[in-house]
Amino acid sequence: MKRNAPFFVGYLPVPRDLRLVLAISAIAFVLAFVIAAWAVGISQDNPGDGRFRFDLGRQTVTGVLEMRPYPVLHVIEGSKAIETGETLMLSGGGKFGVAPRANQLDDMVVNAKGILLNRGTIRMLQIGNQRRDLTAGEGQPTVPEPVNLGRWRLAGEICDGKCLAGAMRPGRGIAHKACAELCIQGGVPPVFVTTQPVEGHEFMMLADADGGPIMEQLLEKVGIYVSLEGRVEQRGSIAVFIADPNSLAVLP
Amino acid sequence: MMTAELLIVLAQIWGGIGAIVAVSFLTIGIEWIDEDAQGAITFRPLLIPGIMVIWPLVLWRWWALATNQDRSTSPQAAPRRCHATVAIVLTIVISTTLLISASIKQTWPDHVPAILLEAGQ
Repeated sequence: MKRNAPFFVGYLPVPRDLRLVLAISAIAFVLAFVIAAWAVGISQDNPGDGRFRFDLGRQTVTGVLEMRPYPVLHVIEGSKAIETGETLMLSGGGKFGVAPRANQLDDMVVNAKGILLNRGTIRMLQIGNQRRDLTAGEGQPTVPEPVNLGRWRLAGEICDGKCLAGAMRPGRGIAHKACAELCIQGGVPPVFVTTQPVEGHEFMMLADADGGPIMEQLLEKVGIYVSLEGRVEQRGSIAVFIADPNSLAVLP
Repeated sequence: MMTAELLIVLAQIWGGIGAIVAVSFLTIGIEWIDEDAQGAITFRPLLIPGIMVIWPLVLWRWWALATNQDRSTSPQAAPRRCHATVAIVLTIVISTTLLISASIKQTWPDHVPAILLEAGQ
């Protein structure tokens, strides 16, 4: 650089020779950000309308708890926002499931308090963190009999049910993969979102081949579009996809 | 190992090494290579997060200045000389990364039908 070349200092008057360069640079900089923001925006999928339903207030319901593959509540006494007979997936706060608190209440009538998450037909209850938010209730515990809907080959995506239902926006896709893996490892129920509905179900709670929580083979493919084979069961008002990990194939 | 676990482990390893470098550099190295820092203590904790992130660069500059490999008139001369190269390389790398990631992005497979393999009972 020449010894007396003009030099830009932010808090000093702009040297005459640099004014045009500065103006062009500033406009180009702003335009570049506008174009980049537009390009990133149009390349993203619609995050959907899922959200925490704080507007509906805290829900208090009674139901029968079923723990496998992940905790769900078959509601026998609903609230304004939750109908009797509905089956709700359950989660704890943050990236945690509710299993550690719910294990001793399996197949029992429980009283549950929490906040509803809702995205289309996907509904989940985030149980409050207090011990009194999930307690044993009174009544006859009757778990709905599973209905075998057949063996299917389905295409879609493995997501964590909580973020998909509205805890995160976006709550699915490759950009959300790490979050979804942490949520599922923390015990949040995973769901399989299908490209085409099966007996009216566009999403299904996902279970491993033994009917229990999903293992590493499926966990590794969270957030990626895959095809899977397995048995679909109707349990209450939700469907459960008992998938065979060996049938998993990544789609192009 | 899960992708998320791997990222956390890598970040822990990187940050752990960075913390060791930060402590060593801020207690010993900084006074060797920058006489203006001698006796100046209170600003040093502010450098810890930055050093933990770019510790390889800190080690390289520490080694170059401490062993007199860098004979420039100013300790900042070497980084300044490579500014243009780094800017060009980063522009190419970032643009290429964005283009590749956009081109290999999966598309929602709504053309793949749900196939009933065996009817339920």
